[in-house]
Order: sequence, then C-alpha cells, then structure tokens
Amino acid sequence: MTIQAPTFIRSDGPDKVTGTGRYTADLTAAGVLVAKFRYAEVTHARIVELDTSAARAMPGVFAVLTTDDVPDVLYGSIKDRRLFAKDVVRFEGEVVAAVAASDEATAERAVDAIVVRYEPIQAVADMEEALEPGAPLIHEEWETYEAPGVEREGNLASYTSLSRGDAGAGLAEADLVITSRYVADASHAVPIEPRAILAQWEGQKVTIWSSTQVPFPARDGVCETLGLPTNRVRVIVPHLGGGFGGKCGFHYEAHVAALSRAARRPVRLVFSRREEFIAPDRRREGMIVELTSGVRKDGTLTARKARVIVDNGAYAADSAGFPQLAAMHALGPYKVDNVEVEASAVYTNCQPSGSVRAPTAPQGCWAVESHTDELATAIGMDPVEFRKINTVDSGDVGVTGQLYEEIGLQECIDAAVAGIGSRHDLPPDEAVGVAVGWWPSFAMASGAYVKIDHDGKGVIVTGAQECGTGAVMTLPYLVAGELGMRPEDFELVYQDTSAAPFDAGASGSQTLFNNGRATVAAAREVASQLKDLAAQELEASTEDIVLADGKAHVAGDPASAVTIEWLAAIAAEGALLLGRGSNDPPEWPSMSGVSCVGDHGLGAWVAPQFSCHAVRVRLDRETGVVRVLDVSTAHDSGTIINSRGALGQVEGGVMMGIGQALTEGVTFDDEGRQLNPALLDYKLQTTADAPGIRTHFAQVPAAVGGPYGSKGIAEAPNVPTAAAISNAIAKLIGGPVRQLPMTAERVWLAMEEGAS
Amino acid sequence: MIFASAATIEEALEAMADGATPIAGGTDLVVGARQGKAPLPTSLVSIDRVSGMSGIVQASDGTRVGALVTHGALMTDARVVGPYTALADAAALVGSPATRYVGTLGGNIMNASPAMDTGAPLVVFGALAELRCLSGARTLPVADLWTAPGVTSARSDELLVAVHLELRPSRSGSAYVRLEYRRAMEIAVVGAAASVVLEVDGTIATGRVALSAVAPTIIEVEGVAGMISGLPVEEAGSLVQEVASLQAVPISDLRGSDRYRRHTVGVMAKRALSAAARRAAGEVIGVPVNRAIGVGSES
Repeated sequence: MTIQAPTFIRSDGPDKVTGTGRYTADLTAAGVLVAKFRYAEVTHARIVELDTSAARAMPGVFAVLTTDDVPDVLYGSIKDRRLFAKDVVRFEGEVVAAVAASDEATAERAVDAIVVRYEPIQAVADMEEALEPGAPLIHEEWETYEAPGVEREGNLASYTSLSRGDAGAGLAEADLVITSRYVADASHAVPIEPRAILAQWEGQKVTIWSSTQVPFPARDGVCETLGLPTNRVRVIVPHLGGGFGGKCGFHYEAHVAALSRAARRPVRLVFSRREEFIAPDRRREGMIVELTSGVRKDGTLTARKARVIVDNGAYAADSAGFPQLAAMHALGPYKVDNVEVEASAVYTNCQPSGSVRAPTAPQGCWAVESHTDELATAIGMDPVEFRKINTVDSGDVGVTGQLYEEIGLQECIDAAVAGIGSRHDLPPDEAVGVAVGWWPSFAMASGAYVKIDHDGKGVIVTGAQECGTGAVMTLPYLVAGELGMRPEDFELVYQDTSAAPFDAGASGSQTLFNNGRATVAAAREVASQLKDLAAQELEASTEDIVLADGKAHVAGDPASAVTIEWLAAIAAEGALLLGRGSNDPPEWPSMSGVSCVGDHGLGAWVAPQFSCHAVRVRLDRETGVVRVLDVSTAHDSGTIINSRGALGQVEGGVMMGIGQALTEGVTFDDEGRQLNPALLDYKLQTTADAPGIRTHFAQVPAAVGGPYGSKGIAEAPNVPTAAAISNAIAKLIGGPVRQLPMTAERVWLAMEEGAS
Repeated sequence: MIFASAATIEEALEAMADGATPIAGGTDLVVGARQGKAPLPTSLVSIDRVSGMSGIVQASDGTRVGALVTHGALMTDARVVGPYTALADAAALVGSPATRYVGTLGGNIMNASPAMDTGAPLVVFGALAELRCLSGARTLPVADLWTAPGVTSARSDELLVAVHLELRPSRSGSAYVRLEYRRAMEIAVVGAAASVVLEVDGTIATGRVALSAVAPTIIEVEGVAGMISGLPVEEAGSLVQEVASLQAVPISDLRGSDRYRRHTVGVMAKRALSAAARRAAGEVIGVPVNRAIGVGSES
C-alpha cells in the first residue's frame, strides 16, 4: 500500500480560486426574507419589558420571535443558555429577539422598533473578581443547570485538578524555585467569511444551508432546541470561507429555521463583521496562568504547581472541558514526577469562549514555555538543552502517567533548532526563541460510503466537513490507494447531513484522523467486492487478487487481469459496488497514578502530537515593535498523508500564532463590552508580515492513530509560536513580557520597567 | 440617493452647489458608512473622471499635484519621489495596493483624519491647497484646512482641485516615518515628517517637522527651524525628538496610550529628520522609509 498524495490540485481549488464557488451568502431562494437580531448591547441586566408589537405591526415584517415563541430549552456543555434571552441578559451579543422582513432596511427598522427595558445588574468582566466571594452571580440559577460530570459552584463554571507525586516535597528538593504569573487576553478566530444561514421549510422538514464547521452538531442543536427529530432537519454546507474553530458548535441555525417557519418563507441571515466579532459563543478564552516550579542545578525539574483561570464568558458553549486542557498545557510535554494543578473556568459577562483552534493551548504553552526559559536562565543552562533533558521521549511516562510509545518530540527539537541557524552570533537587536508544544488527536465516531457505478467511476459520500484545510479533499487519494484506481476517478458528496453518515465536523483536527479511517474502511469493502468479482472472472482465488492500475489481476500474473470498468459493469447488473465504513474510533488512554477531580477524559491523549518552533525576531528598542524574521518548525503529527495540505496548516498556524503573540487581543471595557470588534483595531497579521517559514515533519507513525499512522495536524501548529516569540523577546529585554499579546507598547513598558 | 458623475470641474461644482458631496476613490466614504461612522450622503457627485485634476505638472515655481492623483501615483512618480520624497513615503504606506490605486491625495486631505499619512509631509513642504467654487477660487496653506478631526475650513460648495508644492532648494531632503504594528492595512499609531536643507558642511541650514496622530489635526512642531539651524544632524535629531514629544497632545485609545504616543512620536520625528538629512546628502533610501530603515524594515 502506498500513500499517493505528495502534492495535488484539490478538487475544490479551481472553484474557490476563480470565484465560481458558492458560499452560503451567495445563495438565495424565491421569496427569501432578511433576518436580523436584536442584541442585548448591555452586558448584565434583567429584562423588565420586551414589547415587539410595534415591530410586528410594521409593513414588510413577516416574523418577530422572542423566547416566548420557541420551546423553553437549555443547551450547551453546561445547559445554561437558550436561543433567546429569558429574563436576564449576560453579554452584549446575546440575542433578545429576531426579525424576518422583506428587506434589509425594513428588518433594521423592525429591530429598532422592538422595545426592551432593562434593570441593570452589576456586570463582572474580570475573571478574578468573578471568583471572589460575594461577586454578583452571572447565573443565579446555576444549581438548576444540567451538567453531568462538571465540578462547579456559582461563578465557577468548571473545575479540574490533577496531582501526581508530592509537589510540596518536590519543591523542597529543588535548588531553585521560581514563581511566575502570565495573563493572556482573549482573541478571535476571524474567518474571512462572516457566518451566513439560509433556511427553507418543506412540510415538516427544514433544510438549512449554513456556514458551519460542524454540520452534524449544528443539526443536533436545531433538533434539541426546536424539538425536531434528526431526519427532519437537513444541514448543508456550501463552500466554507474558513472557520478556525469559530464556526464549531451550534449557533444560529435554529433561530433562522424558527423565523422561516413563522414567516412561511425562506429566511437568510448574513452577519456583518461586527456581529461576527461580538455574537458567536466561540472566541479564544483569556487566561491567567500562575506557575511555580522547582529545578535542580543540573537542570532536572523536581516539581510544578500551577493555578490556571480560564475566562468562560457568559455561557459554557463547549468550554466545560477547557480547565482540564488548560491544566495539561500548564504542565506541558515534560517529565515531572511531582505535579499539582488546579484549573477553573469562570463565568463573566464577556462573550462566551469556545473552541478556537487548539483552545487554551497557545496561551497555556506561551505561559509554561516562557516560565521554562525563566527556569533555564536562572540556572544558567541553555534553554534548548534544558528542554532536551526534561521533555518526554519514546518510552517515557508523562505528567499524567501516560506512556509514550513511539514519539518524535526530540527529533522535533533538534530539527526546529537546526532550521533556525545560529542562536548566538546575532545582531544586538535580534534573538532566537524556542518553545515546545503538544496537542491531542481526538478519536470520535465517523462514517462514509464509497460506491462505484457501472462506468467504473466512484463517489465518496462522507459526513466530513471541509473547512479549507484540504482534509476532505485528501479522501479520494486514500480510496484510490485502496482500490488501485486514480484519485480523479472519485467525486465527493460531503457536508450534507441527510446524505452522509455522522461525522463530528471540522473540529479537533479530527477529519482525516477519523473520517480517513472510515473512508478507508468503506473502500476496503468495495475492494473486497471487486476481488470477489474478479476471482470469478479470472477463475482464481479471492485472496490472490490484486487491485492496481485500474485493474484487478492475479498476484504474480499481471497479464491475467480484468479492468475495474469491466467489473463495475457486471456489478451494476447485480450486487452493487457499495461500501460503508465506520471508523471504529480508537480508545482514549487513561491516566495512571494521578488523582483528578473534574475529569473530562482529556488528561491522557490518543495519538498525542508534539512540536517545536524556533523563531528569530528583531526588536525596535525605541518603540517596542517586534518583527518575526524567520520561523523554523518541526511537527510530530505522525505519518503525513498530504504534504502540501499539512504544510499549509503549519504555515497558517504560525501566522495565526504570530498574530496572537504580537497584535491580536480583545479589549473589553469594565462591563465586558468589546472595544475593538473591527478589523482595523483587531489586528490580524497580513501577508506582508509573513516571515520565511521552514517545516520539518518527524514522521513517526502513530501506533494508535488515523489512517497509516497519521495524527491530527490543523491545531498543533498554532500552539508554540507565541511561546517561541516570547522567549526571543525575553532574551532581548532581559525577561518575559507577562501579558499576551505582547504588543509593542507592552514590550516598551516592560523595557521601561526593567530600566527603572 | 442622487448620484451624478461629473466630467468637468464646473459640473462637479454645480452639483456641489446643489448639495452634493464629492466622491473620488470612495475608500473612506463608503467604508465609513458601512462602519456606521456617518451615513452615506443622500447626494453624491463622482469626480473621478473630471479632467484636469489628475495630473502632476511641473512649472518654474513648483509642482501642481491634482487632487485626483492616487497614492499609487504619488509613491512611484519621479516628480514626487525625487523632490517630495516624504509624500511618496506616506502614500506608499496607505492601506493596501487596492486602496492606494483608487484612493486620492484630495480624498486623504479632505477626509481630515488626524492620523492621515500625507498630511504631515504636505505641511513640511508648506503645501498650498487650491479650492474652487462656482464663484471663484482661493488658495490657502493645507495646514489651515484642518480644523478638527474630520473637519476642514472648506465650505461645502468648495472643491479641492490641486495642491501646490514649492520648488525644493538644492541639498534638501525629506522623509515620513510612522509607527505601525503591521505592514499592510495599517493606520498610523503616530507619524512624523521632516524636510531639511543642509549646509555645504553637512550641518542643518533649515528644516521643518510635522506630526500625525498626536493632536486633533496634523500639527507642525513649532520653532524647529530656529532650533536646529547650524547643528549637526544627530544633535538636531535629539532636539527634535524632545520638542516633538513635548508639543504632542495625544489621546489614549486602542492603538496606544498618550504616554506611549508622546514617546514614540519623538522617536519618529528623530528618525524622519535623520532620513531626510541622509537623503539631502545624496543617499538613496528607498520609498517608503519604513521598509528601508527602522520600524518594520525589510532586511
């Protein structure tokens, strides 16, 4: 079996590049109405009056909905929110009412005509204030929420602790103990395409075209909140204009479906950029990370204590498990026998946090890796050497007792450092920083069908979602490899919940990992059907049939062959060539020798990915402006199946990482309103800012992993970049900048404080 | 909404007398309306095809730059890049290639943003603005145009048709440097333009410095010429840095605190003066200076 996708033209590429591809906002339907939301705008208040009568009476207004017009259903990883605010609003982007009207201007006037009167409740935007005794409760009725397995109390939305060995004794054994505190601001996913949804009913069934990353979870959200069976809700995703996690989960599909049902017309919602910034419950969480580590003079880590606070925002979209993920990042891929971590997600009146590309990881890695350089510097050891001594290698046991069989972290460190060139003979305003990172792969159920019709051409029907990474585009190569055919013999039917079996969607870097296995399983069923047919045709034994070059032949006798087309024509008259595959997800490993409160199953990882980034930066000492000049990355993401796609993921992850490191941060006011929900003041990196990026893949096949020993890849490259940049800056200014993003002004202030 | 397209200055002026707002590149008006800054005017007159407003004309007393000249032209045209390099530096930093190739000098001036990039260079060149209305024309220093953020002293029936730049003496040079956090789609955190004339011995004969994004309008640093005349460049730079920081009256906002802006505008002023002096001495520093030296440099 060879894996044949070194470089290729992805089948959705020409559509996207030439502009002929259609995205959700390009779609329309006869009689379509415009949807608009009335948002809370205030961040914490009791609704004392909500009057939609004037809006409902306006000509051109077909529907106005509030919480009274939909089933009273609570949803989320903690069931703490409804489609529409009921009684209390808890963040500025909370939907209070929705309007469907004949055109944009009418919809806007109707939204303005809705009367809402509030009685203010004290807002809490600060994580630590929210945890203080006597702080105003974000959810007074928190005790009534369903949240199986979540440790919580009041504003503490979710709590996890991990401990192993004796951290106190470990610290006592150390030659040196260092305590550091790091604070990361929230940031955003910022997909280029703001979200759009179009819903249309046909009798009791609704079709929803949505720019979601996760069509099945989106469908399930509609079913849960509107009380519909899964077979009456069909979610179809046209081309998706990026997601980066921001379009994971269930968002506004139910609002638009409910509007469409009430208006008896198709309804379309298209977000403005401001809405994309303030409303969805998916932004990267702010974090406070406090670390205390003990180290011996020889570089051995003796213990680590950590306290992490994650800003959950107003609702727990999918964040209940974040504290455990954050705890893992506060520990990192190190060998430490004595650890004690407490991590909490805390409710505030800020926009809810959710899975943006490796949730909690870039911030956690930035904190722990900056801290690691502090430790190495304090004992006078080269930070790379320090990591070589303390990070896990094949055969080692990690912080939660997990045994790592074959991993490539040491190769990653060596390769990334070698790729950046000299770390020492640099101009005075330049420095190299190095950081290591890790991230799980996510084993989840996933399915696919493969069929071949009478002319020998095939279709892959997959539940997977292509969010731009190329993961779905890689599936034809896997199928072609199994069947001895060409990738171009297959077309894809994808991102349609009524056509294909379940897949969790483009989240958790899981598409190729899980759906690749499912698709290969489906292809293998077809292979076995082809071999049976060929065996009859060639009067040979099934076990001796080989599929290659578009033919089935007898092993050792290539001349004794029959084409796939021939076999397909025979099959079309009788037993069809039809394969179904379920990925049979691998089991998650479990922790060992660890005591844990609030376990979400994220303390030991299936097919863990490891990485090392090395960056060279230049600092303008008079202004604090930092430029990243050069980046060298190395990733153990197992076997690489589509190298061009994988490189794209790494380079995009690095660019997102540079943004998070230097320029991307959400500024909230004291009440939790965003002050920079626009692209001029929420500063993404641009193409003009991109440094050279070199990448090495340590291709250590995963023992338990995706197809052919692959792991995930989409999130891991976003993990260690900010950390590496932090370590380079620290070398230049004599210590770390303890706030993320490390903006020019913060770097300048750190220099000023150092000087004074 | 009324939308008219003018072919001549007179047609544009007639429409404006009837209440129309002129639109050329549209990079601010439309974007501003979408961002909710101000609704689109109910009556627009498109001036992008008006003849006689898009040329760069050299005469014995200086250069006339039409209001419709784009940033893309300003950053590449030898008649600007040579004598008025700071203006080219500024134009090359505006927005993206797309905005530079439709956005015009006139639009940038009349939009009157305190963070505008072309303003400080125009001030250090002592540029004059030529305004026309149906009843006549008047000329005034560009610095007198800006009265507050987004506000000019032009009447609503007056159209900026051109900017006049005096001839530059020999041994003169100029530069515009800005503080930026990324290298495209950026707005000045602070910025500074300097023009200098050198003596034969390399000391400074005279010079001017103006600042972006540290006051309600572009401001000229007062007393520069007297202060730096006769000084070596480095010494002049230190003085200018100090005085620019003192005279700046910045606000604190998302892009920077008042304290940070006050500090960095001094740094920008010093760098602009230094780059201007190097150019005056004959050194070729590419446009924009930001990519050649200092903040965000290429190499």
